[in-house]
Amino acid sequence: MNEAWRFFLLFFGAAIVANILLIRFIALCPFFGVSGSLETSLGMSISVIFVMVMATSVSWVAWNYVLEPLGVGEFLYIPAFILIIASLVQFVEMVIKKTSPPLYRAMGIYLPLITTNCAVLAAATESVKPGFFTKLNIPYSYGFVESVVYTLGVAVGFSLVLIIFAAIRERLDMAPVPKFFRGVPIAFITAALFSLAFMGFAGMFGL
Amino acid sequence: MDWSLIWKAAIALAGFGALLGAILAIASRRFHVDVDARVEEVLEALPGSNCGACGLPGCEPAAEAVVKGEAPITICRAGGPDVADRVAKIMGVEVGSTVPLKAHIHCRGGASVSPIRAVYQGVNSCRAAEIAVGGGKACPFGCLCLEDCAKVCPVSAITFDEDCIRRVNVKKCTGCGLCSDVCPRDLIEMVPADATVFVRCKSQYTGKKALSVCKVACIGCKKCEKTCPEDAIHVENGFAVIDYDRCTDCGDCAMVCPTDSIQLWAARVGHPEGGEFILPEGKKKGKGPDYAVDTDELEMAVAEVSAEEAVE
Repeated sequence: MNEAWRFFLLFFGAAIVANILLIRFIALCPFFGVSGSLETSLGMSISVIFVMVMATSVSWVAWNYVLEPLGVGEFLYIPAFILIIASLVQFVEMVIKKTSPPLYRAMGIYLPLITTNCAVLAAATESVKPGFFTKLNIPYSYGFVESVVYTLGVAVGFSLVLIIFAAIRERLDMAPVPKFFRGVPIAFITAALFSLAFMGFAGMFGL
Repeated sequence: MDWSLIWKAAIALAGFGALLGAILAIASRRFHVDVDARVEEVLEALPGSNCGACGLPGCEPAAEAVVKGEAPITICRAGGPDVADRVAKIMGVEVGSTVPLKAHIHCRGGASVSPIRAVYQGVNSCRAAEIAVGGGKACPFGCLCLEDCAKVCPVSAITFDEDCIRRVNVKKCTGCGLCSDVCPRDLIEMVPADATVFVRCKSQYTGKKALSVCKVACIGCKKCEKTCPEDAIHVENGFAVIDYDRCTDCGDCAMVCPTDSIQLWAARVGHPEGGEFILPEGKKKGKGPDYAVDTDELEMAVAEVSAEEAVE
């Protein structure tokens, strides 16, 4: 298998086939919380892509050079990663506040939300322990580039679904929905149908 | 049990904590952004409910806009004069001429005095009724009684009774002006809170025509205009309008008004709505049912208006 194709499959698998929102059902709270309008979902998506890739890069280094050599990774990865992600988000917030006020205004409100976003933790965990959330014991660990590509896939999948879903919800607001289903109930139903649709990707390219 | 694991774990986590803490500490110095301290103070002074009545996304953007000078210190409609005062103190400016406002509804035609010409059964909203057929009320200028203003009022200061008489509770009214924005007939005016003389009609019809659609309409007789010593009240488009900059609250116009369209507001401390509309002391009580119109005087005034119109 050539290298580029392998990376593409890794990316595609993370983004579409095993979509973090619709197939793995991780990070459902931002999925419903910020999908109310297209604008906020766009802001959230950009922030998530940015933070997820950074968080995974740093936690990959922490895992491979500190936790794993010390032999404490197996039970310490959650507190360690949370510590890393929370500090990283704080740090990033400070840096962009100083260096790029427009970017801060666009992403600022979402950054603190992402600090405790489980999708970020999930991506970081999966990139050091592949197959963890699918309960597969894969005796393989990603290299640095692989884990970045994988995380980028997860984040892009998250963003894609969040944005599409926000667009659908904006239309649903104007649709003649029965009174009892208006608002969140119809959003849940839509998400379920959406999830079913995404199951159609299962097995694509043998993934 | 392998005790070394615990040591290693403690060292690893403590190491991470120390390292990240140090990085954050340095970064907070290195990337420190000077935020105007007044923003925080103004934010403290604002109600903090992020209601959005000012047109900005919330209280923090509002505070920033005030400090930058992009917004007036009176930006907070919900907070009213109290908040404006506090913000003014922080910003070191005078509130100046921002008199507190309150809503006044220029219509007192209830169901018993204003006949209906149709039964409106459409969407339960004044704006919808106005667009559709102009509602069911005979008077094309009066209150439609579908309570859009009451629904939009964030403090429930506007109430309607069974006779569709609407009242503004001046104790509750914050002067935000949301009701004034929604009224499709433009009946709600934001007046200075200390005003006492009110024209309670906005009918553009004059004389008999005005009375045919509402027994308590302003007939445009201009008696008030002639009486006013301060030139503060004028009949425009068929109804009297008070210029509150000039009005001295003498109440002479209310005294001569033949339809009692001009009334005085008596602020009462114990009153649940903060006061009520009254007629000036000594005004002749008429024969009308729930309004004090002197019918003889009224007929004369109507005749005068008709004569004037005939001349024109």
